Amino acid sequence: MLYLQILANGLVLGGLYACIASGFSLVWGVLNVINILHGSFIVLGGYLAYFAYVKAGVHPFLSILIAIPAFFAIGYALQRLMINRIIAAPVLLTLTLTFGLDLMLSNGMILAFTADFKKLVLEPPLGTIAFGEVVLPIDRLAAMVLALALTGMLYLILSRSRIGRAIVAVRMDREAAALMGVDVKRIYAATFGLGAVMAGASGPLLVMIFPISPLGGPAYLGKAFVICVLGGLGSVPGAMIGGLVLGVAESFGSLWFGPEHAITLSFSLLILMLLFRPHGLLGRKGYE
Amino acid sequence: MNRALLLGAALAAGTAAAAVAHAQDVIRVGAPLPITGPLSPEAKKQQRGYDLWAETANKAGGVKVGMKRMKVEIVYVDYQSNTPRAVQSAEKLITQDNVNFLFSPFGSGATKAASSVSEKYQVPTVAATASSSQVYDQGYKYLFGTFTPNDTLTEPLSDIVGREAPGVKRVAILARNDLFPLAIAQEMDKSARKRGLSVVYFEKYAIGTLDHASALSQIKSQSPHWIFATGYTNDLILLRKQMADQRIEAPVVTMIAAPAYQDWIDGTGRLSQNVTSAAWWHPAVRYEGKDVFGSTEAYVKAFRAKYGALPDYAEASASAAGAILQLAIEKAGSIERTKVRDALSAMNEMTFWGPVKFGPNGQITSLEPPVFQIQKGKPTVIHPKSIRQGELQLGVSN
Amino acid sequence: MKRDATIAAVLFALVALLPLAGEAYWMRLGTIVLMYGVLAMSWNFIGGMAGYPSFAVAAFFGLGAYTGAVAQKFGLPMGLAWAGAGLVAMVFAVLLGIALLRLRGHYFAIASLVVAEVLRELVNAATELTGGGMGLNLPIPAMASVDAQARFFFYAMFGVAALTFAATLATTYSKLGFGLRCIQQNEAAADMLGVDTTFYKVSGFVLSGVFVGMAGAVYASWVYYIEPPDVFDVLFSVKAIVMVLLGGAGSVFGPLIGAALFLGLEELVWRNYLEVHTGVLGLMIVVLVLFLPKGLLSLSQRFGRWRPTG
Repeated sequence: MLYLQILANGLVLGGLYACIASGFSLVWGVLNVINILHGSFIVLGGYLAYFAYVKAGVHPFLSILIAIPAFFAIGYALQRLMINRIIAAPVLLTLTLTFGLDLMLSNGMILAFTADFKKLVLEPPLGTIAFGEVVLPIDRLAAMVLALALTGMLYLILSRSRIGRAIVAVRMDREAAALMGVDVKRIYAATFGLGAVMAGASGPLLVMIFPISPLGGPAYLGKAFVICVLGGLGSVPGAMIGGLVLGVAESFGSLWFGPEHAITLSFSLLILMLLFRPHGLLGRKGYE
Repeated sequence: MNRALLLGAALAAGTAAAAVAHAQDVIRVGAPLPITGPLSPEAKKQQRGYDLWAETANKAGGVKVGMKRMKVEIVYVDYQSNTPRAVQSAEKLITQDNVNFLFSPFGSGATKAASSVSEKYQVPTVAATASSSQVYDQGYKYLFGTFTPNDTLTEPLSDIVGREAPGVKRVAILARNDLFPLAIAQEMDKSARKRGLSVVYFEKYAIGTLDHASALSQIKSQSPHWIFATGYTNDLILLRKQMADQRIEAPVVTMIAAPAYQDWIDGTGRLSQNVTSAAWWHPAVRYEGKDVFGSTEAYVKAFRAKYGALPDYAEASASAAGAILQLAIEKAGSIERTKVRDALSAMNEMTFWGPVKFGPNGQITSLEPPVFQIQKGKPTVIHPKSIRQGELQLGVSN
Repeated sequence: MKRDATIAAVLFALVALLPLAGEAYWMRLGTIVLMYGVLAMSWNFIGGMAGYPSFAVAAFFGLGAYTGAVAQKFGLPMGLAWAGAGLVAMVFAVLLGIALLRLRGHYFAIASLVVAEVLRELVNAATELTGGGMGLNLPIPAMASVDAQARFFFYAMFGVAALTFAATLATTYSKLGFGLRCIQQNEAAADMLGVDTTFYKVSGFVLSGVFVGMAGAVYASWVYYIEPPDVFDVLFSVKAIVMVLLGGAGSVFGPLIGAALFLGLEELVWRNYLEVHTGVLGLMIVVLVLFLPKGLLSLSQRFGRWRPTG
């Protein structure tokens, strides 16, 4: 049935979206910083995976493991050295700062990689799998599973590890956390680092599926915005739900209103949510 | 002592005169290109084409202008893939950099926007990448284009399919919502309906769409025999891949405008097999031209020698723009803009690019665009008959 | 106020004389500077004075451009089309403002950003009316010469800029300006003190949209061919913000100074650093935010006795 296929498409896409958005949501929720670099981190991770595969035969799934420490370091350093300086400044300034940094990063990537679109073509290709009438590509399915696994890992870190608990504490009440002995500066940097990891690690997954270019960051960012608003800030389950809802909404939206309106639809959803339930489906009121 | 002074003076005067003459011996052609930004891969192609022309013309001694020969210099300006900047670049080239002639920026949209400037200043402009007739619909006299209108691509294609695949009755069209991809999709719609085919699906996708699964699922549910998709390289790589993701197969799959590019063939791998496309030129065409390159074969050879690869139609079009401009200058015997403009308008010459004759709106009308199919990773010409390299193969599968 | 007005009068008079000295290309640059001046000054109302980080400039610009273009397509003369565009932008700003200004901080920013995207796609879809992805032709202005045309549009944009500046002056020294600044300081307190925050916010938002809409319409007539991605470009919003930050948010002259300086730098970088100009722009922004968050005028606060009011 067509509807089942459309639903399946949406869910698979949604899982990927969830991974893209979870790191972004965390940084926004905890630091109150909208990290425009997030999209470009994803692209950077994708390029690294692409070149690792093409030049050295490293499978993209393996590249994820490499991406994790690399991006944590980048994110940590960036936050500690630059973003922390204006962490208390009005929203506009932090937004503009990350925007400027993003311009520099994407320009750098163009110089390094040229603006051609690159897509990782797995040899041999993974093929497709059929569940009754519904056909799904295995690479997307695998990417979705891995994306959900990464997101799940993030959730575990936040709920089980010490640093994770500290991050949640800072998010709930910064002053109280500081009073409890939490080094807020370090936590901010670690959170940003985690956000960067989620972005950089989803890059290898995405480059298997979508052609990437140094200027592709904003497209992913746009999705992340919508998902955060849909699901609620700073909440990993929220990002998951938000991602799935967006994926399915775009899928059915394309069916009912035509593919040209898919993007408009997701943004309209965003505006509606902002107007009527800004804290998202899973968020709690007051945590803006 | 006096003689030495005299000699010195003569030498100085001679050098000065030569310097002045030298400065005037150069034809400057402005080329605004999207050197940075999302369209930069296209700019690279254009640049290769223009540079090859300039180099070839200069190696042959320069362009013949009446009694003397003048070298050619291409002046590049980056408009950052931003159309308003393209317009600004055109004006800058004309008024600040004092170019004699202009090449258009990349693509139908920017070409159209910038042509308003060149028309204002009455600078002959040759457009190497604009095919949609909407570009030429403002009644301008100074704009000339090397691409024939979009229906010259869809009509022969429809003829061939109609002839060699009579079982094809249902057509699905998916177009990028952008000037050229949408315009040519509309032409395809017309061509299909004209032949009694039923268009079971015709939708547009927004620029920047990351996922086509839903649209493709809908197309699949209509069981089309012929899938026609338009967009740029990245769109079409993604579309072909997602077709395979959903196990969509059809007797005929046509994509415009990427399959001619090596990037697309590399990006789709084995999925490129049997995808059809059409373009305004192909290295396999055979023309004996009167232009500086001579024959198509000679052009391909020269391109290969300089860049180590076969030229695609975009690169060849850029070289053709230069070669055509050169022919016009030589015919006019001067670099005076109105004279060159008239020479372009009256042109009726054979070139490596094909026969060149412009219609009253400035767009070329004389080409017979080749239809080709990717067979075993190579674009193989299947039309026109005179340069056919292979037969149409039916069945695009995964 | 008198001092600001006098300085402004001199400045504007000088700018008005530019066409006598320059030829068409410089007039083009001048027109662009004036256009961005309008954008910057407009953003200043909602962003600089009221402190709401709006990214809606691109939305208003595109809306104005297409309104003017469609009006001209149906035969309306340029001047009327421009006024009409301003009117439509105003109405849209009222409706949008009422809906969005309940949001704060990041949420407001995102919502305002997204509005431009939605408008762009709506315009893209309305192919019959707007040409959709294929763009829209405007009637070609019938002018005596290239120079005459350049001068005409220079003065047209000049007019819009002068209007915007007058509005800036009037607002800064009026109750509205005072109210907006109160809202920026502490909206809840202002509300409690009896300031009608909704009315003031919406007014500020409307001011941030009406002139931008007119500028968009003038722009469309000037280039006589527009496509959705050209006029709904988020960079219009971003540049307007950076220009105001550069010059000094909330001040009377800051936006203009910022616009002129930014564009001058951009032109210089464009001419000389082909490959890295976006990177250089990014660097400029980073340096600005980290070291000069209050804009250039804050330097004069440190060194001079002249303080810009507002």
